[in-house]
Amino acid sequence: MTRVAMERKVLNENERAAAELRAEFQRQGVFVLNLIGSPGSGKTSLLERTLEAYVPSRRVAVLTGDIQTDADAARLARYGFPVRQITTAGACHLDARMVRRALEGWDLAALELLFIENVGNLVCPTSYDLGEAHKIVLLSVPEGEEKPLKYPGIFFKADLMVLTKIDLLPYVPFQPDVAEANARSVHPDIEIVRVSSTMKTGLDAWLAWIDCKAVAGVGD
Amino acid sequence: MHEVAIAGGILDTVRRETAARQPAHVVKVGVRIGEMAGIDPESLKFCFEVLLKDTGLEPLELAIEPGRADELEFAYLEMEQA
Repeated sequence: MTRVAMERKVLNENERAAAELRAEFQRQGVFVLNLIGSPGSGKTSLLERTLEAYVPSRRVAVLTGDIQTDADAARLARYGFPVRQITTAGACHLDARMVRRALEGWDLAALELLFIENVGNLVCPTSYDLGEAHKIVLLSVPEGEEKPLKYPGIFFKADLMVLTKIDLLPYVPFQPDVAEANARSVHPDIEIVRVSSTMKTGLDAWLAWIDCKAVAGVGD
Repeated sequence: MHEVAIAGGILDTVRRETAARQPAHVVKVGVRIGEMAGIDPESLKFCFEVLLKDTGLEPLELAIEPGRADELEFAYLEMEQA
């Protein structure tokens, strides 16, 4: 019996595709954000408020992933920016090849900002690099403040946590400071913004975070 | 939830390595999985056993070692000469 060492990522096919995507995004100057959160955490609503805030000349586009239906693409297309739906037909996450296929025919050079709305899931999307500059995790108030401890992987990998639905704070037993402390216990450097897409509060901090990071550079 | 895809990825790599290292064949594959990787080792082993059936790669053992943080990497292959 011989043992050979092998230093290689298990998802090396995805890693390779993601590295190609990242290089392409950098070449074309596209700043890419990968939004990850539970089903119903408010990913699509946050994107609606975001697109609504952008002037029509902003060169922004969205890829939105779901297991079934193009309902989200229809919601997001109302704002006049290019939107494409990725329907995974059962897969619980997006992978880099799905993103590459969905981008076919798009002129990336005409874009400066691309949002990828992942399939609603706090676990599986964590493992799949899509060539993004940043992963962003959404945590909604009704989900409870212990989510960062129960699903540490995504809070560890995300650079920003968006605490959504803060308009519900008076109605549910949720302590935002505890939720944030939990997130920081997993990832001390994670940045955090609090928003309500319904009441349109906190969006300035969210939009400023995007602009600030986009200036800092596309890619990692 | 996506342990099936991970198990499939491991088997794809073993299949390629087996083809490249003929006539030796892989009898054990070691992977390192960190706590932040979001992988349940028991579930991964179960998926691995299911997918392994009828691949022609049997017998093949999956050994899981604890890794750093979000690590999800191969560690080693054990080969036997045919």
